[in-house]
Amino acid sequence: MKKSQVALEFLSTYAFAFIIITITIGALYYFGIFDFSKYLPQKCIFPSQFKCLDFSLKPTEVRIKLVNNLGENIKVTSLQITNDAVPPISCTPPASFDWTYATEKDLAFTSCTGGAYIVGERVELRVSMSYYALDTPSKPVHLINGKINGKVISS
Amino acid sequence: MEKSYLVKSQSSLEYLLVVALTFAIIVPTTYLFYNYSKESSQEIIDAQITKLGTSIIDAAKTIFYSGQGSKTTLEINIPENVESAQIIDGRELVFNITTSFGTSEIVFFSSVNITTISSNCIVNTCKLPELASSGLKKVKIEAVSKDFVRIEVI
Repeated sequence: MKKSQVALEFLSTYAFAFIIITITIGALYYFGIFDFSKYLPQKCIFPSQFKCLDFSLKPTEVRIKLVNNLGENIKVTSLQITNDAVPPISCTPPASFDWTYATEKDLAFTSCTGGAYIVGERVELRVSMSYYALDTPSKPVHLINGKINGKVISS
Repeated sequence: MEKSYLVKSQSSLEYLLVVALTFAIIVPTTYLFYNYSKESSQEIIDAQITKLGTSIIDAAKTIFYSGQGSKTTLEINIPENVESAQIIDGRELVFNITTSFGTSEIVFFSSVNITTISSNCIVNTCKLPELASSGLKKVKIEAVSKDFVRIEVI
């Protein structure tokens, strides 16, 4: 009888310790202690032909400054922004425009909603852009993708 | 007897604390460095493609202006992630690359007419399938006529 009591007490002590540790780790996870991505530098990555010079993430607006390093005048036909959240971020993209080579453009995605795009939160956004070269006869459309990883700041 | 248990339990606890502390340092550091290196490798691939595309276009220009019959061979190292390569309209050299955030087309524009072997060309698009696999490649660039330069992987 005494042996079984000792064994049961031993097991229940371990069970309590296990439950407390699990709850503690769960709470730490819930409050984002294990979200190490917030310690990564804020970054904007695009192919070097459209080098990303700067970006800003405001509550309802995403702005990116790119430079046309193609050496060609182009027409940007469409721009899209999205992320992995459910539902993904939805913004009004800039209208199509002509872009002279070696010049910078400030692209503004406005009226952003959804996509866990909240002030103070770290977000990862994917931007895709379609364009064609004005001097190429068949005007084939090319697609490039870029990524923004940063924190949404209040304006 | 009791003292011996105390010493044993103290050393066990200290051992566990050291292991826990080590994990607490190693896990976040590994995560941060892994992510950082992933982004850096993306930039390295982009730089490699830019270098090889520019070198092909520059060589094509040099050969074109050197006159018909001129040729040269380039040794280029194709990085991973190149899905396809093609020439469009004789002026765009296009590399399709896959990245962690989607497929991008890296385009190089040539001021001289470029083409490849005729069997790879359909209408205005000429495919360069040999440039779509990673590794060291020899690219022959030849001014086959006064109007265009042929780019061929040998």
